Amino acid sequence: MTARPGREAIIYLGPALVLALLVVLAPLAFVLYTSLFANGSFSLEAYQSLWESALFRRSLATTFEISAMGAALSLLLGYPVALHLSRLNPRARAFCMILVLVPFWTSILVKSYAFTVLLGKQGIVNASLSVIFGTEIQIPMLLNRVGVMVGMTNYLIPFVVFPVLASLLAIDRSVYRAVEIMGAKPPTVFWKVTLPLSMPGVASALISTFVMSTGFFVIPALLGGRKDVMLANLVDFYTRETLDWNMAAAIGVILLAIVTLIAGTAMQIQKMRGHARGV
Amino acid sequence: MDDTLQNDKLARRWRLFGLVLAVLVYAYLVAPSLIVIPISFGGAGGDLSFPPKTYSLHLYEELFTTATWMQPVLQSLKIASIVCVLVTAVSVPAAYAMVRYEFPGKRLVTILMMSPVLVPVIVLALGMYLYFSRLGSTGTTVALVLGHAVYVIPFVVVTIGAGVRQLDPAIEFAATMMGASRRTLFLRVVLPQLVPSVIAGALFAFLISFDEVVIAWFLSSAQTTTLPVRMYSSIHWGVSPVIAAVSTLLTVLSFFVCLVSVALQPSASRGTARANLSMTADPQVAPT
Repeated sequence: MTARPGREAIIYLGPALVLALLVVLAPLAFVLYTSLFANGSFSLEAYQSLWESALFRRSLATTFEISAMGAALSLLLGYPVALHLSRLNPRARAFCMILVLVPFWTSILVKSYAFTVLLGKQGIVNASLSVIFGTEIQIPMLLNRVGVMVGMTNYLIPFVVFPVLASLLAIDRSVYRAVEIMGAKPPTVFWKVTLPLSMPGVASALISTFVMSTGFFVIPALLGGRKDVMLANLVDFYTRETLDWNMAAAIGVILLAIVTLIAGTAMQIQKMRGHARGV
Repeated sequence: MDDTLQNDKLARRWRLFGLVLAVLVYAYLVAPSLIVIPISFGGAGGDLSFPPKTYSLHLYEELFTTATWMQPVLQSLKIASIVCVLVTAVSVPAAYAMVRYEFPGKRLVTILMMSPVLVPVIVLALGMYLYFSRLGSTGTTVALVLGHAVYVIPFVVVTIGAGVRQLDPAIEFAATMMGASRRTLFLRVVLPQLVPSVIAGALFAFLISFDEVVIAWFLSSAQTTTLPVRMYSSIHWGVSPVIAAVSTLLTVLSFFVCLVSVALQPSASRGTARANLSMTADPQVAPT
């Protein structure tokens, strides 16, 4: 589209921009400000006490651990679904897509509730296992890492399926025909052709699920235990329980820095790759 | 010959393996949404076993007659409706401008407008909490509406932007040539063509606001509690069986929105605005 003066664009964009400035930018500036100013004077005290706080360091480590595990598990579970979808005809794909889209649009609280019913000590999973094996089985799956992982992967799998599916659908069919004519066995085709060619989708799935996980709040709070406190839960704790806004804001800034750093680096790498390929 | 036969067998087995894996994951994805349905129809006399021994509408009756549940339901309906109208009105022109115009600082504007999906919600929610506290308006419905509105805008702008991208610019050019003013062009030429994506965008806005919990958790007070916040506290402090009924209704709502979104956006590879936004860290509004 040809370039038209920016003045006209401003008329269209105006209301959305005003909202963004007043209700996004200003609040984010408030977070930064609150983290740096305690009682009206500048100080780095909040950051310093965070650095010394064992609670903070532990939950920082937990956040990375859970995010990495969640992203990796979601990829493992989501990839077969994307592969299955990519091989269907458009009609069947639209139908199976619903199976991915329904959970995608389902409230996180509905899922959390469902998992408390499914995974509890007397939950459906344990009860079924007890019946199958004929003995009382009570595997603890709630308020621990297992619960968090179940909740997270269930939430994240759709975010893996979409980009990986896009990558798989972009693979030229003639490549498959060529390797089959040459006599490649199906597993070889997968490892040597399908997987390498879907790497762009895999990479963006891993990055986006990891970044999303770092800010998770509801799932660790409802399905996790004391050892699964993530940074977001700590923000909530400082804001609402100890009313230490200074600390809460500092954690917020750190969380934002982590996310920006990862997303920024990923974007830079993508751009460099694009240039290398001459795209 | 023998070799190809063996290859065929291997191929079949390999495909079956893939299918089984995919089916298991599909089941895992859908299970939580489905399990709440039978539970919601049990519950007579505190019976929460699965499958329920007897079926009744007991939990629904309790939901619709308990004020501490109905108030949040109505509050969420109210907020989501206002957000839906407000955000749609703001996003249609914004999406149009983002697609059709080039101007200095466009990248910055894009980043600013898309930032609610790039920034962790908890940070945004904390910021809003601090900000509205300073203005003395935490806990008000206005704060909740504004908070949800900016959170929802990126999803709606991307959804409608995808619709704008599919319009033929030649039609707009022809209308301008024939003397249509900017307003006529937008209201009578652009808008009518955008109806499907505007409906999709409005629905997403409603559902995302209706389901949003983190911002509401920080901004709402006892008088303005939304349904997700009520559910959150209820799961946190001991599960009330009424949640099963609420969950079932929410699942039906999600299913409906999902069907509409599939119908209005037929390209499967496009996924939905929500996924597109999160799958590229690149804030460009360009998922086609």
